[in-house]
Amino acid sequence: MHGGTTHFPIALVMASALFDLASFLVPENSARTRRAGFQAAGFCTIVLGALGAFGAVGSGLVMSRGQLLGSGDLARHHLFLWPAFAMLIGLATWRLIVQNRGSARGFKIYLAGSMLTAALMAAAGYWGGELLLNG
Amino acid sequence: MRIEAKAALFGTAAALVLLGVTFGLSPFLQPSIAAASKQRSTNIASAAASPALEGEAKRGRSLFDRNCAHCHGDDARGDEGPNLHDLTKTDARITRIVKEGIKGEMPRFGAKLNDADVEALIAYLRTLKS
Repeated sequence: MHGGTTHFPIALVMASALFDLASFLVPENSARTRRAGFQAAGFCTIVLGALGAFGAVGSGLVMSRGQLLGSGDLARHHLFLWPAFAMLIGLATWRLIVQNRGSARGFKIYLAGSMLTAALMAAAGYWGGELLLNG
Repeated sequence: MRIEAKAALFGTAAALVLLGVTFGLSPFLQPSIAAASKQRSTNIASAAASPALEGEAKRGRSLFDRNCAHCHGDDARGDEGPNLHDLTKTDARITRIVKEGIKGEMPRFGAKLNDADVEALIAYLRTLKS
């Protein structure tokens, strides 16, 4: 079950980072609707990713019988997972409150955090895959 | 206060609260904390009495910690996977299980551990006596 639920937040967070990056890279003078569209997609995917993370974390805790760290590949998985989970919740909360009222500087910091979270989740996913599929 | 700063504070608080709730709930998912604690103290006592590992067995212990302990337990006395003390299986059988896994029960390690690694692992497993 964890193997299934965990892919939703991973994919959604990565998609969110890409949508937000696209909105940042769209030229200022291009159609405003395109930028707004990317930002709306980034907003929806980060919120859905955060909601999906509850299912992934819950099923993972049940699977590992409540182990928060463990050893070997499980420890490596958790060392990336917990910071990623905390950052995902923090970013989604920030985005929900700020929505479209933020400054350009604030959005740049958010975007950097979003990309870091996507990288942390990818690393957690890699070690999770090593744990389940490759021994 | 600007909305972004407020949102950052709320975001940090939400992340910390949810991490706290998650970490606080996790002990309730553990099968039996008291039993595990008792088992741990027994293991510490038996580990102190056992001779120090050398050579292959020492390397096998390191491989075990990184690859097997999360299912078989740090002391190899079983957790999600079975107790590995006093194994009666042959080296060839253990090698096959480690490399090919057991469908639905244990992942295969053939792509991760080479023959020398599995030999070291078996050397460590042979040191595990009740």
